[in-house]
Amino acid sequence: MTDLALEGVSYRYRQGATLALDGIDLHIRAGERVAVVGQNGSGKTTLVRHLNGLLRPTLGRVLHDGRDVARRTVAQLARTVGLAFQDPDRQIFAGSVRREVEFGPRNLGISGGELHRVVDEALAEVGFAGEASTNPYDLGASRRKLLALASVQSMGTPVLILDEPTTGQDMRGVEIVKLLIDRAHAAGRTVIAISHDMEFVAASFDRVVVLRLGRVILDGSPASAFDEGSWEALRSTYLEPPLPAIIGSRLGLGATPTDDELLAAL
Amino acid sequence: MTTALAVLAGGLLGPALLTAVAVVVPAVIGRIFGRLLRTALLLTLPIAVSVLVVNLFFFPAGRDVLFQLGPVTATAEGLEFALETLARIGAISGAITLFYLTTPPSELVLDLERRGVSPRIAFVALASVQTVPALVERAATITAAQRARGLDTEGSLWRRLRGVLPLAGPVLLGSITEVEARTLALEARGFTRPGRRTLLWWPPDSARQRLARWVLVLAVPLLLVARALGWLGWLN
Ligand SMILES: Nc1ncnc2c1ncn2[C@@H]1O[C@H](COP(=O)(O)OP(=O)(O)OP(=O)(O)O)[C@@H](O)[C@H]1O
Ligand SMILES: [Mg+2]
Repeated sequence: MTDLALEGVSYRYRQGATLALDGIDLHIRAGERVAVVGQNGSGKTTLVRHLNGLLRPTLGRVLHDGRDVARRTVAQLARTVGLAFQDPDRQIFAGSVRREVEFGPRNLGISGGELHRVVDEALAEVGFAGEASTNPYDLGASRRKLLALASVQSMGTPVLILDEPTTGQDMRGVEIVKLLIDRAHAAGRTVIAISHDMEFVAASFDRVVVLRLGRVILDGSPASAFDEGSWEALRSTYLEPPLPAIIGSRLGLGATPTDDELLAAL
Repeated sequence: MTTALAVLAGGLLGPALLTAVAVVVPAVIGRIFGRLLRTALLLTLPIAVSVLVVNLFFFPAGRDVLFQLGPVTATAEGLEFALETLARIGAISGAITLFYLTTPPSELVLDLERRGVSPRIAFVALASVQTVPALVERAATITAAQRARGLDTEGSLWRRLRGVLPLAGPVLLGSITEVEARTLALEARGFTRPGRRTLLWWPPDSARQRLARWVLVLAVPLLLVARALGWLGWLN
């Protein structure tokens, strides 16, 4: 299990005029479920790409279990951190669903019956059990996204990062993503997800990190991040607290970020 | 134009003069001489070096020995021929680089359309220029996604090739499937409608530019005739 830390991380893209990340200090303990939120361009993708070495800090350090990862390659870090991209079309390349999902575990040295098992498991998890031989291009955009998730999930890394997993998914798709996160969490894995869907964030995560202009402006449990005292900060980065949180607050019921909590309080 | 002239002018002095007048002077005025030099050098360095080496040592008609290097002999005739060729290469690559650096593809296409080229052909020209950076960018993100899934691209050259080669197919295929989407989008916006388009913005074309172009165009037949009549001996 792995503790992740960013220490004073700033990052500037080569053509970027401003800092995409501006002095981020963040410590994520093994087994946490962390949602990273913030308006478009606030630096969410840039932040998570530092955790597996795809981007290297312009300033500051990235640590896995207290050790600086500067000298380790992305391929080495992929044993610890699996990252599913925001755009599945930039990730999927194999000719069949099975080959796509096999790619990651195979790179980690898994083979034979074990490989078959982890792939089947990952496919079943996203509802692709009968589609192992389908060509990924024949799937619709939202299902390609699920395939991209499965192909990272199958690696079984201690840390699982999902860049906007629920974007474009209908209710069933969101349910699949939630279950996938619950399983990974139950297995003791760290789950980090970027999302614009606050209801999903409140339901599936223990911790919410809010970014604005490359800085962390809020960091806490859904109850505190969606508490009335935080609304101004949330709205400053164009986020709206989830409806149950607003209703709970109006009715003076305290912090009720999810439907279930609101119903319980009522 | 400069390219044709450089080949026609012959000798060493001809292309050198041309490069100075038609490439270096505008580049300096346009403040892009540094970039021009760097790009042109990168483009031509391998060719230039091989031209120099091959001709210096292996020029068939070489008699006048300059120096001996192991089993091979450098000749003055070889050197002269190499320098002439280099001057032409310099003029050609300089001219092409200057054009590339100063002409945004979109303006080139508008200008082609203004001159009556069919919008389809103009679009193909534009698309082929613009897909290259898009392809590079696409290849980079796809590779990044595979590295995130444990693909090792940081080791030896062989290892890198073995990792990246399987991705070439999907990168190209992806761009091809994008073509369909693009075609539909163009169609939906009336791209194939017959009739002339009204341009809202015309690329500027000053009188001086037009004059310079005509001078260059006229210089081609002039040089051809001059060369055929043997008037250009003084350039050698
Ligand atoms: N390749 C790049 N080159 C230059 N600038 C970039 C690049 N990628 C992102 N940026 C800039 O860095 C900033 C942060 O971008 P990032 O992609 O991390 O945002 P994000 O929070 O993931 O946004 P979104 O919600 O749109 O996915 C933005 O201002 C963006 O324009
Ligand atoms: Mg993003």
